[in-house]
Amino acid sequence: MHNPYRPIPVEITKIVTEVDTNDIKTFRLSFVNKEDEKNFKYIPGQFAELSIFGKGESPIGIASSPTQPGYIEFTVQKAGVLTSALHDLEEGTQIGIRGPLGNSWPIDYLEGKNIVIVGGGFAFTTLRSLVNYMLYEDNRSRFGNITVVYGARTPGLLIYKNELAAWEERDDIDMYVTVDKGDETWAGREGFVPTVCKEVGPSSENAVTVICGPPIMIRFTLPVFFDLGFSKENIITSLEMKMKCGIGKCGRCNVGEKYICKDGPVFSLAELDKLTPEY
Amino acid sequence: MKDIENRLKQEAKRLLESGEAEVVLAYGRGYDEKHPMPYAAKAVSDVDNIVFDEYCTFNMTRYLTEYPLGTKIAIAVKSCDSRTLIVLMQEEKVKREDIVILGIPYRDMIDSKTGKAIDNSTACNLPNPVLYDILLGDEVTERDDGSPYDVLKELEEMELDVRWEFWSKEFSKCIRCYACRKACPMCYCDPCFIDQSQPRWADKSPSLESNLMFHLTRFYHLAGRCIDCGECSRACPVDIPLHLFHKKVSKECEEMFDQVSGMSLDDKQVMVDFKMEDSDEILL
Amino acid sequence: MLKKIGLEKLNEFVSALIEKGTLFAPVKGDAGVDFQEIKNAGDVTLDFYNTLQSPKCVFFPQTDDMVRYRLKKETTDIEEISLDFEPRIAFGIRPCDVKSFEIMDKLFTRGGIVDPYWESRRKNTTIMGYAFDAVDPADFYGAFGIHAADTTGSDVFMVKGEKNLLLKAITEKGEKLLSSVDTLEDALEEDRKYFEERLKKGAELETRTLSLEGVAGKLRDMFGSPYWEKVAAPCLNCGVCTFVCPTCHCFDIQDETLFGEGTRRKIWDSCMFTDFTLEASGHNPRTQKSQRLRQRVNHKFSYYVTNFEVTSCVGCGRCTRSCPVNIDILTVVEEAVESV
Ligand SMILES: Cc1cc2nc3c(=O)[nH]c(=O)nc-3n(C[C@H](O)[C@H](O)[C@H](O)COP(=O)(O)OP(=O)(O)OC[C@H]3O[C@@H](n4cnc5c(N)ncnc54)[C@H](O)[C@@H]3O)c2cc1C
Ligand code: SF4
Ligand code: SF4
Ligand code: SF4
Ligand code: SF4
Ligand code: SF4
Ligand code: FES
Repeated sequence: MHNPYRPIPVEITKIVTEVDTNDIKTFRLSFVNKEDEKNFKYIPGQFAELSIFGKGESPIGIASSPTQPGYIEFTVQKAGVLTSALHDLEEGTQIGIRGPLGNSWPIDYLEGKNIVIVGGGFAFTTLRSLVNYMLYEDNRSRFGNITVVYGARTPGLLIYKNELAAWEERDDIDMYVTVDKGDETWAGREGFVPTVCKEVGPSSENAVTVICGPPIMIRFTLPVFFDLGFSKENIITSLEMKMKCGIGKCGRCNVGEKYICKDGPVFSLAELDKLTPEY
Repeated sequence: MKDIENRLKQEAKRLLESGEAEVVLAYGRGYDEKHPMPYAAKAVSDVDNIVFDEYCTFNMTRYLTEYPLGTKIAIAVKSCDSRTLIVLMQEEKVKREDIVILGIPYRDMIDSKTGKAIDNSTACNLPNPVLYDILLGDEVTERDDGSPYDVLKELEEMELDVRWEFWSKEFSKCIRCYACRKACPMCYCDPCFIDQSQPRWADKSPSLESNLMFHLTRFYHLAGRCIDCGECSRACPVDIPLHLFHKKVSKECEEMFDQVSGMSLDDKQVMVDFKMEDSDEILL
Repeated sequence: MLKKIGLEKLNEFVSALIEKGTLFAPVKGDAGVDFQEIKNAGDVTLDFYNTLQSPKCVFFPQTDDMVRYRLKKETTDIEEISLDFEPRIAFGIRPCDVKSFEIMDKLFTRGGIVDPYWESRRKNTTIMGYAFDAVDPADFYGAFGIHAADTTGSDVFMVKGEKNLLLKAITEKGEKLLSSVDTLEDALEEDRKYFEERLKKGAELETRTLSLEGVAGKLRDMFGSPYWEKVAAPCLNCGVCTFVCPTCHCFDIQDETLFGEGTRRKIWDSCMFTDFTLEASGHNPRTQKSQRLRQRVNHKFSYYVTNFEVTSCVGCGRCTRSCPVNIDILTVVEEAVESV
């Protein structure tokens, strides 16, 4: 019988420290068995349980795109037991992974539409997966304009800096990277994400916005998109609840009748409105 | 008993009406006559729901720490419950001036789970509250029940290994539902040590080792504070006689410091600094 | 097939069952009767109303080991715990509890993701149901269309008479078991009559009840009601009600290590505990006990109904009987629905 609790062995092949506070790192993982890699078919927006025996497991969004074969990436903030232990590991260490889990960004629904990506802080991980997925040369034509508004508190807290710079160079994606407060190294934009969204003012015509970030950012950004005429069906986000099993059994991550690990984590605002307000 | 119930309702009504109390912590109807429930009356119209009978075993002081300091609360207390109040006041968890104490002179309550009378082998069972503002009836006359520690005799006479076996068997039964902790008015820490994950003090899965870790630490946190209300044992779904352990610790404290917990507001608490080794010794 | 055995020969029969597989049966302890894996036939009792804890432990033990590991300097040795369980027999299960297995099946196999720890034990188990002969005031299994001698879901159904235990094979699995035990005698016509009589009487025994009509929707509609604060006021947020419940399935996954050796295991958890939904950041969507009690009630009587078209409760009365402050889930639901 297939055992969905069994972690698949992976090796850490690369670790990138993303921020100047050193508490966010991106881990590149390669499957130890080629067979497992073939079976691990994921879609941007899904997550996986990272596992270290002796420390436990944590649900983490997949930050790489399925268009990048050979590895998967996760960007992890040091928080508690598992994530701290992960931060102490070095390249070459074996850990475990269970997944892919959850639903995903609604790729089919996004096709043929203009996409506005709004991200704040390190919650940019599965958005990065989506951007890379859409920018992939075989996929690019399936989507309309791509606009990215991404902000962090300080320049040092922006993640994926090299990638952001590379995207800036391209002419098939509009980039608006901003920080709440710049410093001497920062020549870019200053301002809060909601304000920048307002300035950019993307059209709601045939458009969907996909938004992930701290609750406070989301709270102030939503009205901007309502004003721009985005309907609740066309604002999409990802929820977070404490998880354990990741497969709808352990009963921990429910919001009303929905299990965030299985029915989510991705919901449109219209769907969220139907959930009980307890998350 | 009906008289006590009537007096309780009368006082509750008066206190809520006059605003002397914002809430009256007492007992209310449950799903049948043998199963009353803790009850918080917040309006005069709630008062009709108040009951008192021999099944109202709950130590209502358990709920005091849920209210912000400064809330005016009237509370119904039996003997042990009043002793809890004293300890909570010593620990500044409640202020004397915020509380109207409605003393209930009644002993020999009945445990609705077992149908057995509660006596001084499972609780303190003093006849009257130690501290009160209003006594809801005539004082109960003293009676020679012997010492609340008499029940320990059998345990104390056991050989060490037999006693160890006794407690091992009891603690192996624990399913870690934490009802004992949650029912105890002295267990108000948030978070409790057992819920912490960094570090995790004991495994979450029940085993003799992790259960001992939980219980010994809890016993140690209650040394000199437990007032022998017996709520922990009554709450336990698998009938572990936790009160016996608490009684034993209280007895030791009493012998060492010549002071019984929760008997006088003027007492300073015996802040006994037990070490894990010491409590082990008591256990054995 | 109807068989019988004299009560004085129960031990012999139980011994024969132990030969057939891992036997779980009611055993008398200090606090009451509970299901245990049986090593000695003499431990089994048939004299009880219902067990203190539910028989879910047969398929879903409080601690369920998944992987053993040994941490070494560079690597970790891993040993997966086998799921090839011996055939099991669950003996003396009351009709309401039998029904609970079917309710849990839905969760543990939902969406095609099968929990192998539940499933591999479940499909390997023969269930021997056992008729009630009285009703406890806390019970309300009648509300779910279950009756005191309901044979639904059992492989073998047992009725205890004055002198004999009567056993009827309900399924093929049950028939196979009964025909393989030669300590049993064939039942006589009078036994047959008695058995039928007891089934009839069982169907007539009345428990407390409740109309489930519209309950799920109403509970969901009154999510924001102040009712929850009132009704949760006495609640202690212990885990008793959920631990003893046959349909509570929540668990934690923990790695428990001692001196470099450890086990990854599932361990029962409870939505009544304060840290159940506490995230690493300190955020907790359910900080109030009113929220937690509402979760328990709504999960059973509303969310589960939406997801699986069945209430996650069989009215066994355990939560009510075991609650230290006598919170009765039936009353809570009744009053909730009335308050809308
Ligand atoms: C769908 C989803 C995607 C996520 N993606 C990312 C990501 O890309 N990067 C990142 O850094 N973090 C992410 N998180 C948050 C991350 O899961 C927690 O920070 C992490 O589990 C904390 O684990 P810990 O062992 O370090 O903390 P502890 O406090 O020791 O937590 C113990 C256990 O509780 C559970 N838990 C605690 N907090 C959370 C939480 N916030 N969410 C879910 N489970 C929790 C986990 O099972 C964890 O192992 C995501 C959460 C979810 C639900
Ligand atoms: S430890 Fe038990 S007897 Fe002592 S105060 Fe707490 S509940 Fe009462
Ligand atoms: S109430 Fe009993 S079973 Fe529950 S944790 Fe306490 S001792 Fe253990
Ligand atoms: S058993 Fe009773 S007190 Fe404990 S959590 Fe359940 S309802 Fe609350
Ligand atoms: S909720 Fe209570 S009555 Fe219903 S199945 Fe669970 S323990 Fe039994
Ligand atoms: S959510 Fe609560 S009520 Fe529902 S199964 Fe889990 S523990 Fe039981
Ligand atoms: S994490 Fe277990 S049910 Fe969602």
